[in-house]
This record gives sequence, C-alpha cells and structure tokens, in this order.
Amino acid sequence: MINLEGVSKRYNKQSIALDDIHLNVEPGEFVSVVGQSGSGKTTLVKLIIAEERASSGKVAVGDWDITRIPDRHIPLLRRQIGVIFQDFKLLNKKTIYENVAFALQVSGESGSRIRTVIPRLLEIVGLPHKIHAYPHELSGGEQQRVAIARALVHRPKILVADEPTGNLDTINTQDIMEILKKINEFGTTVVLVTHNREIVNQLRKRVVTLDHGKLVSDEQIGKYRL
Amino acid sequence: MRSFFRAIKFAFQDIFRNISLSLMTVLILVLMLLSVNTLIIIKFFTSQATQSVKDQIDVSIFFAHTASDEEIDEVQSYIKSFPEVSNVEYFSKDQVLEDFKAKYSDNENIIASIEELDENPLGPTMIVKTRNPGDYNKLITALSVPEYQDIVVAKTFVDTELAIERIDNITTQVERFSVILTGLFGVIAFLIIFNTIRVAIYTQRIEITIKKLVGATNWFIRSPYIIESFIFTVFSVGITYFLMKFAAGLIDPYVAVVFKKEWLLTDYLTSNIIVLVGSQFLAVLLLTIFSSFLAMRRHLKA
Repeated sequence: MINLEGVSKRYNKQSIALDDIHLNVEPGEFVSVVGQSGSGKTTLVKLIIAEERASSGKVAVGDWDITRIPDRHIPLLRRQIGVIFQDFKLLNKKTIYENVAFALQVSGESGSRIRTVIPRLLEIVGLPHKIHAYPHELSGGEQQRVAIARALVHRPKILVADEPTGNLDTINTQDIMEILKKINEFGTTVVLVTHNREIVNQLRKRVVTLDHGKLVSDEQIGKYRL
Repeated sequence: MRSFFRAIKFAFQDIFRNISLSLMTVLILVLMLLSVNTLIIIKFFTSQATQSVKDQIDVSIFFAHTASDEEIDEVQSYIKSFPEVSNVEYFSKDQVLEDFKAKYSDNENIIASIEELDENPLGPTMIVKTRNPGDYNKLITALSVPEYQDIVVAKTFVDTELAIERIDNITTQVERFSVILTGLFGVIAFLIIFNTIRVAIYTQRIEITIKKLVGATNWFIRSPYIIESFIFTVFSVGITYFLMKFAAGLIDPYVAVVFKKEWLLTDYLTSNIIVLVGSQFLAVLLLTIFSSFLAMRRHLKA
C-alpha cells in the first residue's frame, strides 16, 4: 500500500530530515510512526501526500509513484489519501458542513450526493448537531472529528494521521483513537504519526521508530521505546 | 459548469464572510480610480483652456486702401491654399470703417477726424485662423513676399508672436507634464492595486494551503478569486463613475463661468462613458487578476 525504498530527504548539506528509509506498509495495517521532535516523522507524512519530494529513493502509494508524480496529478492523489493534522486544518470561514463538503466539491461531486453523504459522515463522528457551526465554535476534540470526517469523505484506502491528538486532552485523545481503530477495522490502512507513548503502547500494533532521520526499529507488535 | 457555479458561490461567500476586507478593497480601488479620474479631468480642463486661448488668437491682415478686389481675391485664394489655415474672414473697406466708428463712438475727436476726410482711409481686413498656433509664423512668412508688399500694409504678426509662442510652449509643457503624471499615477495605481490584492490573498494563505491539502486543483482555488476581482472591479468602477458625475454636477456651474459652456464636465463624462468606464474597467480587472495570480503563486506551491 505504501512503499519507501531507500528514501532520503535533504534540505541542505547540514539538514538531513530522512536518511535511507526502507518501509513497506501492507493494506489494512495500523502502523504507528514514533520518534522525538525532529526525527523526520512529519517529513515522512509530507512525502506520502506529495507535499515534499524525496531527494533520493522511491516513494509509492498504491499505484502512484510519488517521486515522479506530475504536479497536475497531486490533487488526484490527495483525494485518495485521507489526512488529519495536529492543528486540524479546517477552513475557519466555512461551516462544519461546508468544510467536509469542500473535499467532495473539489472532485466535482453533485450537490445531491454531497447533501446525502455529509450528514451521514457527521453522524459517524458524533457531530450531527454541529452541522452549521463554525470551527471556532467547537472544542479541539470536535474539530479533530470534523477533520476525520473530511478525511473519510472520499472513502480513502489510506488514512494518515499526523499527531492527531497533539492538541487534545486525555478524554478526547481516547475518543479519537477509538475512531481511528474503528476506521482501521473497516479495512482502511492507518499511518499514525505520534510521540504519545501511552496511546502507542495501548494500541499493541506495529510501531516504526525514527531517530535523527533514520529508521531504528520496526516491530510488528511494538512499544514506544525512546 | 458545476465548478464554475461553485466558484461563483465561493466568491460571494468570501466577499460576505470577509465583508470588512472586501469593503476596504473596494474603497482603495475607488480612491485610486478617483485620483486617476481627477488627472483626466485636469487634462480635459487644460486642453479646454488652451483651446479657448488658441481660439482667441488670429492673424489680421490689413490691405492698402488702394488694393483692388482682384488683388485681394488672389491673396485670399493663396491663404486658403494652406492646409494649416482653418478659417478666413474678410471685411470690406466699408465694414472696417463701420467697425472703427462703432469702436470709437465715444471719442468725438477721432470720429470728427474721420468725417473730415473725403474718402475712407481704411483698407479691407482679413482675419485668418490656423489649426495650430505654431502655423502662424509660416503664414506670416508666406505673406512677406515682394509681390504682396504694396497690397498688404500690415500684419498683426509682431503683436501676437510672443503670445503664440508662449501658448505653444505652455501646451507642449502641459502635455509633457500630463504624460509624466499619467505614468506616475499608473505606477502608483499598479502598486496600490497589487498590494491591496496581495493583502487580501495573504489573509487567506492558510485557507489556500488547506484547500490544496484536501485535493483542490489550482484552478479550483483560483477561480473564486478571479470572480471576486471581477465583482470588486464592477463595484469600484461603478461607484467611481457615480461619484464623478455627482462631483461634475456640483462643479459645472463654476466651470460655466470660466468657459461659457453649461454642463461642460457632465457632458464630457456622459459622451465619453464608454471610453472612460470601459478602459478603467479593463485596466482594473486585468490588474486585479494579474495581482491575485502573482500573490497566490507562492501559496499554491504546497
């Protein structure tokens, strides 16, 4: 599903974000990528969603060779990968409904389909009553659930979560993790980037550890060891 | 087509949800257009003033009272053959005498002296106007030939030469100054519009990045901004024209005192509406679209 072969990312001679990474994620897997700040976790996410290009090596997502992807195909790739971020990245001037709908509008979905899908999705993430609210009227946990709804709107095969609980309290963190586990149970590959020891240890899933841009461990049922 | 209607919807949403920024953008565009229009009006007044001074300048050719009708006709035909000549007015001996008497009707001595003479001492006169003040010199030179020496006794060349030269100089200088000022205003207008749009785009840079991350194409992101540019242009040009017409209505009574023409400015704005509004609309639209393209380029790289 996701395959990295000898991937390196250098910003300059002194700054090496990723160094010769080999990583293969199978369909339906739940992989936690852990590491301290500056270990290269976010760079890895950026390479997967083509926000950055690898300096060397090959990044493949499904049938897409990201290292060679033309700029005009990047929007198509991003519609097939669900991404959630630590800072939620919601459009502040749009309502919750409009935020989720936007992800469908970009791909030219019809208004009638959008009107059917969005309320159902917001129900799944437990926010049917907030449909006309603006992001600033929601709590952090609620905003992250909206971001998850938006990420799922295209029924992606891969969901990449970059520090999704970084701005949340313990209760909201547990809620979000439950949602991610459910999404994975329905067959979606989940890549969770985090430095939250507790949630990684609770998951008892595959853990990939990065340190100073290098992949230092990859355990099928791993623990947070840093 | 669906994307186009969505772009229109997003454009209106953006305008109303950022209403203070939208109003500020239109206000700046209106102020900029008012400055440009003020320059256009100043240029119009200058050309009107220059033209009215030019209209008052002419060359009077005084013929000897002995000059025959054939000789005068020959000179008249010669003068009319110049393409630079726009008008020739002929006054016979008797007309000149009548005008003279009317002019000095309150001076008994002069009138008495004229009455004393047996015959009319004044010769016929011809008043010639040229298209440009600079052409008078050419005309005067052309008449200063030996064959007309006995027929033409005087030309008002000496009296008006300086005035003609000055008007010519002023006209040239004003035109040169207008070109420089128009260029300067053009640069200022471009910078104002560019920065206004850049600020408007900058406030939405995070939104643009997010839109890219959820799979929007560059065109899907750009199109609402292009439509917004169109809406801002329509409003700013419309408001500016309305304000200019309103101001013209207030100024015109004062202008009429100087130029002896009623509704001069209002008529100018009305008769040139297509050129004025059309050119300004096109310039502002292209400038706003160009500015938004340039300002967005950075944020669309994500």
